[in-house]
Amino acid sequence: MAAPEVLESDLPNAVALLKNLQEQVMALTAQVQALTKKVQAKAYPTEKGLSLLEVKDQLLLMYLMDLSHLILHKASGGSLQGHAAVLRLVEIRTVLEKLRPLDQKLKYQIDKLVKTAVTGSLSENDPLRFKPHPSNLLSKLSSEDEEEDEAEEGQSGASGKKSGKAKKYVPPRLVPVHYDETEAEREKKRLERAKRRALSSSVIRELKEQYSDAPEEIRDARHPHVTRQSQEDQHRINYEESMMVRLSVSKREKGRRKRANIMSSQLHSLTHFSDISALTGGTPHLDEDQNLTKRRKKVPKKGRKKKGFRRRR
Amino acid sequence: MHGTLKRKQMVIDVLHRGRATVPKTEIRGVPFMPKCSRLPDVIFVFGFRTHFGGGKTTGSGMIYDSLDSAKKNEPKHRLARRGLYEKKKTSRKQRKEHKNRMKKIRGTAKANAGAGKKE
Repeated sequence: MAAPEVLESDLPNAVALLKNLQEQVMALTAQVQALTKKVQAKAYPTEKGLSLLEVKDQLLLMYLMDLSHLILHKASGGSLQGHAAVLRLVEIRTVLEKLRPLDQKLKYQIDKLVKTAVTGSLSENDPLRFKPHPSNLLSKLSSEDEEEDEAEEGQSGASGKKSGKAKKYVPPRLVPVHYDETEAEREKKRLERAKRRALSSSVIRELKEQYSDAPEEIRDARHPHVTRQSQEDQHRINYEESMMVRLSVSKREKGRRKRANIMSSQLHSLTHFSDISALTGGTPHLDEDQNLTKRRKKVPKKGRKKKGFRRRR
Repeated sequence: MHGTLKRKQMVIDVLHRGRATVPKTEIRGVPFMPKCSRLPDVIFVFGFRTHFGGGKTTGSGMIYDSLDSAKKNEPKHRLARRGLYEKKKTSRKQRKEHKNRMKKIRGTAKANAGAGKKE
């Protein structure tokens, strides 16, 4: 195997390591024996504990036993090929790995239990602290706590002052704070939206079909750009059928519908392509219908009578 | 299936390729829902709109348990279409004038009624 020079140089290291190993093994044996005695004296009752942790304990112990059996076998010169303990080890390992996500899920609870057991009371940020305490509603002259019920973690309602003691005052997060969306952010959002719209335009879709390896699908699908008018129409139809009434169509509505029909029925889509300047970086050119929808600012209050149908414009 | 109003209500789709829009009397004549066969008397249909291009019309209909429940629960204008209800013909102007006359008079009902005719 290795040349005799390498063996010679390794020899003192090996001897030192073996001595070290012996000391450590003796210390470990002492500890394990102490632990075994304690367990046998029933110092660690686990009936009321989490069964998951119990299972994990047992599995880890079995793993250790098999592992030490294999080490013994190997140290006395045997081969591990096809040894039954190897299979057992693999099985236990898989089970332990499958238990890991369960462990993750229980982690919060276990940590909290341990902390409560150690400190003896709930911590300050514990959301359970915010459940209603009717006893606190009775006026005690020294303290008036108001703690409200909170459904979500992390959002505090009126977090009360501690009774009597001088604790740091944490202002309650009741009032919505002004949100400054700067012009730059608005611009970015607009760009994002334009990009998304451009990605689903016919030009880009055709390019995708051209370069993708997937088979070409011919589907009887609805128009990919479900326009506002078609959505409105659908909403109207649903309302009419469920309420069993016929809604009148105002002149404005008629005009809108006519315009939408014209635009879709002409060969408009053959020659006019949607705007993909968001992806190419050129100057945006607006299509006609976009302009039209932005015009009306002043909404007439009269004639908004149909209960329940009109959506806010 | 409307227990309170004692009727069944539904949306009706009429397919009539090659024909003009089907009149309501004919639609009522079609035997609806053979399980609960009812006379056309208690069937009320309304709101028919033909889709663009023809061939299909959509509307709604109601089938009552009996003519009495129909008379009670159906809106008056639909009953009037079938001649089961006559609305009074006094014009709006007349009614308002009558009311204003009544405002000026206090006293027994007969006197009030008479006053209405007189002035």
